[in-house]
Amino acid sequence: MIKKSRHALHINVDKCAGCVHCLGACPTKAIRIKNEKALIIDDLCIDCGECIRFCPRDAIESQTTSFSDLSVFKYKVAIPATVLYGQFDNATLPSEILFALRRIGFDTVYELSTVSELNNAALDKYIHSHPKPRPLIASTCPVVVRLIQRRYPTLCDFIVPIEPPREIAAKFLRANLPRVLKVAPQDIGIIHITPCPAKMVSINYPVSMEKSYLDGAISIRDIYKPILQALRQSKEDTVMCHLFPETLFSGIGLGTGLSGGETRGLKNHRTVAVSGIQDTIRVLNQVELGLLKDVDLLECMICPDGCVGGPLAVENRFLAKSRILRLVNQVGEHTVVDPSDMSLLYQKDFLSFRHSVKPVKAPPLDTDPVRAIQKAKQRNKLFKQLPAKDCGACGAPDCRTLADDIIRGRALLEDCPFMMKEKK
Amino acid sequence: MTEDTSFEQEFPVKGGDFSRAGEVSCEIKNLLKELGLSTQVVRRAAIASYEAELNVIMYAQEGSLDLTVTPHHIRIVVEDRGPGIKNIKQAMTEGYSTATTEMRELGFGAGMGLPNIKKNTDKFRITSKVGRGTRLEMIILTDGHPHD
Repeated sequence: MIKKSRHALHINVDKCAGCVHCLGACPTKAIRIKNEKALIIDDLCIDCGECIRFCPRDAIESQTTSFSDLSVFKYKVAIPATVLYGQFDNATLPSEILFALRRIGFDTVYELSTVSELNNAALDKYIHSHPKPRPLIASTCPVVVRLIQRRYPTLCDFIVPIEPPREIAAKFLRANLPRVLKVAPQDIGIIHITPCPAKMVSINYPVSMEKSYLDGAISIRDIYKPILQALRQSKEDTVMCHLFPETLFSGIGLGTGLSGGETRGLKNHRTVAVSGIQDTIRVLNQVELGLLKDVDLLECMICPDGCVGGPLAVENRFLAKSRILRLVNQVGEHTVVDPSDMSLLYQKDFLSFRHSVKPVKAPPLDTDPVRAIQKAKQRNKLFKQLPAKDCGACGAPDCRTLADDIIRGRALLEDCPFMMKEKK
Repeated sequence: MTEDTSFEQEFPVKGGDFSRAGEVSCEIKNLLKELGLSTQVVRRAAIASYEAELNVIMYAQEGSLDLTVTPHHIRIVVEDRGPGIKNIKQAMTEGYSTATTEMRELGFGAGMGLPNIKKNTDKFRITSKVGRGTRLEMIILTDGHPHD
């Protein structure tokens, strides 16, 4: 049974054994074990998917779009993330993968690397025309945006207000497909193929616009097997792809799914690229203290090595990265996007956020300042009583969090097995 | 003021441990957020305590940040065992620094520490004994900053 929430991550209670692997893995301490089952605290979860990696029973499911959900659309469009090209062996060309998606049932498959390059060029222009604040922070990773909203409210204004490539591509298609195909707009379903669950949340609950231009996101995990089958069945596609390479790829754009991919396209600026949740938190802490002011753009990607390390990708990220770098080399890092096209779209505000990113305030210990102070004192006192073993047996990830939960009325001191022993 | 309406916590800082620079001020920042203080107040306190923490790490053998929060203000007292400051007036000048080349190479020691603390606090007092250590006392008023 799946409970409805604003998040893409859900616990399958039939599979969950109530062990503690996910507790410690969660960077925002959003998971508790209650009644032998894991439970996600909605206010704290940022949909990074770290827990998926650590669950030994595959009990954390991401609620992405399933292929059967697409039957409501007469006309189906796929926008695969560029990291999809790194999921298959070296002999498989990106254009074959795009062909395979058509065989599976998509009417149109939109290649994202050129839009990624366009996005990168817009980023470059934005940095040039905005000397302050520094460092600007790229907004491509939706988890980073959510993390900043919740933990670094003062950095919301540092986020570059340019939509990520997947949304820009979907916006293009929304604007043009109904006219070109003579299909009613509501009959067109535009689906992202994603290596992470957070894209689904960014589609259902967008931060910078009223409604996403995408209709859903299918995980690479779910669509991997159908693609593999389609690739095997259609050997003639390979020949076609070699003889008639119809799609234009951008080497600059292909690399943006890797950590450092966005900054590589920004040769005239001082940039820093960070990947992995712990390192991202560390660097954002520094930025909030007023450091890194000599950096123009900070690229943060929550997954290790970037989107190739997404929890819903199939291939291990080192292989995927190596394949994508090989593709980038083959295609070459020359510009394929016409700068005047980009300028025009930039001037028309086609690429920018509809509204700015607003902080999401975490609930304080108490809204009354005096009571908040008293609760903080009680919490410290409680914490000193606890055994400091951080074992997770109480259902909280560590003793400090248990103390916090008790103060907030989410747990009892008796939940700690060591405290029980002392009582006896 | 009664005991009950003030929160107090001491944070030890080890001199020379650059790799952990910022950890204490980060903890203070998170704590102040949980107490429901405004973003502006939290930001000022975080910057001031970071500069103070860094001074202890850069120059002293050891020290501590003592945080007190009342419904009206935040008070941070930083005491260290270290070389002390000969000329406080000079040390308060923007750009003046006694940092070594090594520290500067790490990106520290721009001579903005103490002036930055002064800028981000409502009351700031510094006393020092050469050869003994330095004591900073800073107060940030939280009244009049509505909770946002």
